[in-house]
Order: sequence, then C-alpha cells, then structure tokens
Amino acid sequence: MLTRAQLLEPLAAHRTDEVVVTTMSVTRPWGRLSSHDLDFASADSAMGHTADLALGVALARPDRMVVCLNGDGSMLMTLGTLATVIGSGATNYLLIVVENGSYEITGHQPIPGRGSLDFAAMARGAGFPRVFRFDEPVAWARSLPDLLRTPGPTFVQTIVEPTAEGPISRRPTEPSRYLQVSLADWARVFRKALGAGV
Amino acid sequence: MSANTLTPRTRAVLATLVDGGVTHVLGVPDNTSAPIFDALSRDTAPRLVITTREGEAFALASGLWLGGASPLVLVQNTGFLESGDGLRGTAVRMGAPLPFIVTARGYARMTALGFGPDTPRTPELLRRPDLDSVALMTEPTLRAWGIPYRTCAADGDPVEAVARLLTDARALQHPTALLLLGSLA
Repeated sequence: MLTRAQLLEPLAAHRTDEVVVTTMSVTRPWGRLSSHDLDFASADSAMGHTADLALGVALARPDRMVVCLNGDGSMLMTLGTLATVIGSGATNYLLIVVENGSYEITGHQPIPGRGSLDFAAMARGAGFPRVFRFDEPVAWARSLPDLLRTPGPTFVQTIVEPTAEGPISRRPTEPSRYLQVSLADWARVFRKALGAGV
Repeated sequence: MSANTLTPRTRAVLATLVDGGVTHVLGVPDNTSAPIFDALSRDTAPRLVITTREGEAFALASGLWLGGASPLVLVQNTGFLESGDGLRGTAVRMGAPLPFIVTARGYARMTALGFGPDTPRTPELLRRPDLDSVALMTEPTLRAWGIPYRTCAADGDPVEAVARLLTDARALQHPTALLLLGSLA
C-alpha cells in the first residue's frame, strides 16, 4: 500500500510538461507538491466527471500527455468513461485511479463493493491496451518514465492508504495555488499556459 | 445514411457547424439527432465523440474547451436532465462558452394537449399517461440552472438557429442552449 507521498512525490519528480488533473483527496496534496500552470483541480464537484474533463483536454491537445488522478468513488460514478476513452481514440491519456476504498473527504464511508472491485480488470474489459496495478512504492516510482512517455491510453490502479483530507474549498487561504482562485479564473490560467487563449 | 444521401437540411446544419468553427460534437444520439450523428460518424469534421451518458458529454466538452477546442454538445432533453452536476461543476463554473442543442422529446404532444413550459407541474399532470413529463420539465430546468436558451419551433429554421446559438455562446461566455422542437433531417 502506498502513502499519498509515495504516490505523488515520484510523479511530481518525473513530470515535465504534462497536464495533471486532480480531484478529491489528492487535490490538496498535489497542490502542495506542484505549482504548475498546467495543474487543474476539478474540485468543484461534478459527480465523478473529472476523468471526462481530462479526456477532453487530451483530445484537444494530442501533442501533450494528460494525467488524471481520479478517486475510486469518482471512477465508480462514471464507469462508462472507460468505454468513452477507448471509443475516442485518445492515446495521450494516463488515467490513475487512487484507490483508498472510501469516500475520504466526507469521512471515509466505504465505496460500494469495497474489497471485491477490480478496477484494473474493468479497464482491461473496456479495452485499455495498457493496464497496471501498483500497491508498493518502488515499482510505482520505477514505472513512471514509461507511464508518462509511452502512448496509451494507459490505466493505472494504485492502492493507497487513507488520509485525513477534509472537504476542498476555493479560497485565498488554501495552501495550493490552484485552489486560491475560482475555477473560472484558473481555467484561464490553464488555457493561457496551453496557448489556448484566455 | 451515406454522405451523398444527406438531406439538404442536415447538410446545411453540418456546414453551419464547420463554418462556425466547431471542432467536436459530443453526446448520445436520439431519433431527432441521429442524422447528424450518422453523418459525423462518416465525416472527419467536426470530430464526433459519442459518450455513454450526457453528463459525460458536458464534462468532456469542458475539457476540450480548456484545451483550446470549440466543442458542441448534442443531447435529448431526457439526457439533459441527467447531466445536471456534470454541467454545473464544469462548464458553468468555468464560464465556458459551450453551445449545446437539446432535442425535445414530448413537445408535440404537450403542445397538442394545450400545455406548455409554464404550466404548473402538479403531481397529477406529471403522472398523466398521455403526456411525456420530460417536456414539462425541460424549460423550467434550463431556467433553474441559469442556462440562456432560445427555442427553434417545429416549423423553424434549424440552420439559422444553430448559427445563432454559436454566436450567442461566444457572446455570453457561458453554456448556452438551443431547444430544438423540429427535425434535423
């Protein structure tokens, strides 16, 4: 099982110009490690649609790898997205499910099917050509150059320890830069960084 | 339907999308929108992305806009009702100038029976077997969610309406809808 630091610190170390989209319990931890204009916190709640949003960025910018750090509860809300990813033909998409078995930011209520779900099997069944599962930090860290550079789409299931992240807000006192402004304001920062206008 | 069997109206709608700079069309097909989906599945522009649910389409379109593309979402009113938080938590919060077309199941019957979007939606009315309740709920939902919209009547010109939708969304810098009561074929 990985700690949140063991999950995110190697990713931050290997990341260069990739887009990184976060949601739920990794939003703040990632924002403490990274202050890149190509980070995007899908943290205004959209009932699990972060993986869809990230796929849209990937389709708009096939020249750039898009990494989505999705929650397990969020993934369950939109399992159809696995099929949409394959149908879309995107190859520059790395979808990482951060599996802690719970709705962490609301107090660790268990997700449905906890203990019997196999997200990697679901991704294989949907047609993902590259599927990986990591539950210890060494193999995860070693795999990152390949995960970030090899065309996919790639699906990664990571087994992580629960933490105590509370509900996410957008306010100037948030430690993460991408949470200090509104989603509308950050969208313009992000678009400018991608050369997509403001 | 092959490209050379498209009706003039379908062909004109597609040309309007291309001329308006639309890069991607996203959604779930229904009987009204099927001619557009069929045509785009054989064409290269705009690119078609079929989703498994309508909320997915709005979130995906928001990501496309973030990346610099110009998407359009095409859904039935039933699917529009499904998409609430996906639309609110992405395009609405971002101020994405996202145009979307909502095809209108149940409107012909609703209108024929003398009801409209402002008819009080009593429990008895919503249970009537001769009415499709989705028609009763569509426009009140658009208003409740703060979505600016225009309606293209069954005998209206969808080509002109789609062109105006694209202009409206860019001017408003907000998700903007066209409620399409007629056919795209």
